[in-house]
Amino acid sequence: MAKTMTTSETNETVSFLARRWKRFALVMTLFAVGVFLFLVLNVALGSVNIPFPDTIKAIFGGHSSQSAFDSIIWQLRLPRAFGALLSGSALAVAGLLLQVFFRNPIVDPFILGVSSGATFMVAIAMLGSYLLGATVVSSLTLSMASFVGAVLVMLVALAVASKVRDIITLLVIGLMTGYVVSALSSFLIAFAQSENVHRFVIWTMGSFSGFRWEYVQWLAIASIPLMTGCYLMSKQLNAFLLGENYARSSMGVNVKVFRYLIIFLSCALTAIVTAFAGPVAFIGLAVPHLARLSLGTSDNRILIPVSILGGAMLTSLCDLLARMLFAPVELPVSATTAIFGAPMVIFFLIKGKTAI
Amino acid sequence: MILNTKNLRVGYGKKTVVADINIEAMKGQFIGLLGPNGSGKSTILKTIVRMLVPLGGEIYLNGHNISSLSNLEMARTTAVVLTESISPGLLAAYDVVMLGRHPYTGFIGKPTEEDNRKVFEALKMVNAADLAHRYFGELSDGEKQKTMLARALAQEPQLIVLDEPTSHLDARHRIEVMLILRQLTQKKGVTVIASLHDIDLAMKACDIVILIKDERILACGAPEDVLEESTVADLYNMDKAAFSSYLGGVELRSNGHGPVYVVAGSGSGARLYRSLVKHGFSIITGVLPENDIDYYIARAVGATVVSEKPYNEISSDACSQAQKLMSDAKLVVDADFPVGSANRRNIDLMRHALESGQGTYTLRGRDEAVKIYGDIASRFIYCQSLSQLMDVISKSENLIT
Repeated sequence: MAKTMTTSETNETVSFLARRWKRFALVMTLFAVGVFLFLVLNVALGSVNIPFPDTIKAIFGGHSSQSAFDSIIWQLRLPRAFGALLSGSALAVAGLLLQVFFRNPIVDPFILGVSSGATFMVAIAMLGSYLLGATVVSSLTLSMASFVGAVLVMLVALAVASKVRDIITLLVIGLMTGYVVSALSSFLIAFAQSENVHRFVIWTMGSFSGFRWEYVQWLAIASIPLMTGCYLMSKQLNAFLLGENYARSSMGVNVKVFRYLIIFLSCALTAIVTAFAGPVAFIGLAVPHLARLSLGTSDNRILIPVSILGGAMLTSLCDLLARMLFAPVELPVSATTAIFGAPMVIFFLIKGKTAI
Repeated sequence: MILNTKNLRVGYGKKTVVADINIEAMKGQFIGLLGPNGSGKSTILKTIVRMLVPLGGEIYLNGHNISSLSNLEMARTTAVVLTESISPGLLAAYDVVMLGRHPYTGFIGKPTEEDNRKVFEALKMVNAADLAHRYFGELSDGEKQKTMLARALAQEPQLIVLDEPTSHLDARHRIEVMLILRQLTQKKGVTVIASLHDIDLAMKACDIVILIKDERILACGAPEDVLEESTVADLYNMDKAAFSSYLGGVELRSNGHGPVYVVAGSGSGARLYRSLVKHGFSIITGVLPENDIDYYIARAVGATVVSEKPYNEISSDACSQAQKLMSDAKLVVDADFPVGSANRRNIDLMRHALESGQGTYTLRGRDEAVKIYGDIASRFIYCQSLSQLMDVISKSENLIT
């Protein structure tokens, strides 16, 4: 009697676990296919449409039928496509980390003020150099400025994290830092000329336009190890789902170290993306929800890889739309991410299935 | 000995909540912390699991000072179930219990076959194997608590610390959780320390109870020795209710209008007494033998009791004392007590009431009343049920006052 019960129960769990792994595999495959599909479309579509066979060949390192295609693919579209891909992944993982850490579903990677810091430094660099009489500011200068600003805010967040015990206090201080730094940026805007302000405002909405191979390289060198680091923390992140008290007292998580690591990893990922693409909104907020809902779990061991794919997929799609919708005018990428991202977040939250 | 504390002082910051705590918890003991809200039960428990730093004294786990243990060593010996509600998003009950395996899994937390088996053992231990695939957020409070218990068990701890594990639960889950804890201590040899609010459940399940009040430990020992009427009344500052160690529960105290004289016995009075108390009457009852269940309940609800020694026939002394008290009563109720040789005089008592013309009620049927009391039974006011009786006497009481 006891034996049969055990067997049936075991079977039930096995089938529950098997069903779940099937779902994970399906979602993973779909997302991976999506990433590849949008990558191909991003390379193929534009002012010059490139036939798919040539596109595929080029992506896998071969030569297309025309040398003109080669240069469009290799110098313009591929670096941009990879830039969008990597940036999306990085933002999605950063958002996921902070949502779990703050146990709040409407947290995004910029919640601690990273984008405000970047924006402020870019405002100084851009508007300041115009004030000083410069006519052009190189995009590399802007990237450097953005990165410095983001890292400064990250250091502030880390310093605050060592002082306050309560996570919500940390969240509020992060928000407030963001407001103060934004206010400083608006001072600079008030003193700047209107055409310069236009360029600055466009920057604050993010763009992958003019993404170069060296940016892709930097982005890859920084974000891939950081994302790997996030994956290695998935066990601790899972423990955190039960709250800080359980994580510490019952699961042996060193909460203090964990806290620093989360802030460092998420802010560093966000900073590096913001440096090259500006603040790209909504990806970091929407993709973790998309991943959770399609997987039906909050287990970060599977959520992180799926968020990486989801971020890459959604950002590629949004960049494609930003380029194509009103061509030849290009939209800021935050415009398309918001149009997709915001309804998605509303839908998820109303459906009520997703929390953190 | 699993856990012991030496002159432990607990509190927040500089404020001491409880001092001079010396607890010794043996393997397989079920220890209950009792005390009013805010007395510091949770503070003690949180200090034991290192969520708070002790303000003084030491805590030893298996002989090692807990401040010297690593997080991992703590997690492998001690599990916690807190009062705070958790919302782990889209985790199934299975996942939540699997989190209990954390101190044993590898770097990424990939579960092995053994982890899987242990998770299921834990779920089965708390009768929750059928919940495994359901989302934690969709479970009832009771099911959630059982899942959290299973999570604690999956840690394979020697000690489980629980903060008010039965609050918010319905009657069934309250008892189920206590039974599970009891089983853990007896079958698995796990030591359980829990703060509790149900005195009756604590008395029935705990090996040791620790009573905490006014920044100190009021008493500590086996519940049979410690939980007495006066100690419990003192612990909770109760005067409108009383704890009866015989009945193992708390009874509300009677007070207010009346009094109502009840002639009862052999349990016929139990429900009647409680009903009268609930409706605000004070009670006089007797004559009851001192080994009757009605005697203990009457005492617990604070009735004036005329009693006789166990196994003796009711003496004429007791009877005349009862008659005197009866004349003070506003009304008299016959609780439908069984009649035997030892309590024959209670029938005389009822006849006396009927003759004196007092309002006299009975819960017996007419035929039976006539058989016992004879023709005078026609003077009874007959009531079919307790609720009817309460209705009638509440109305007559209003007429009187």
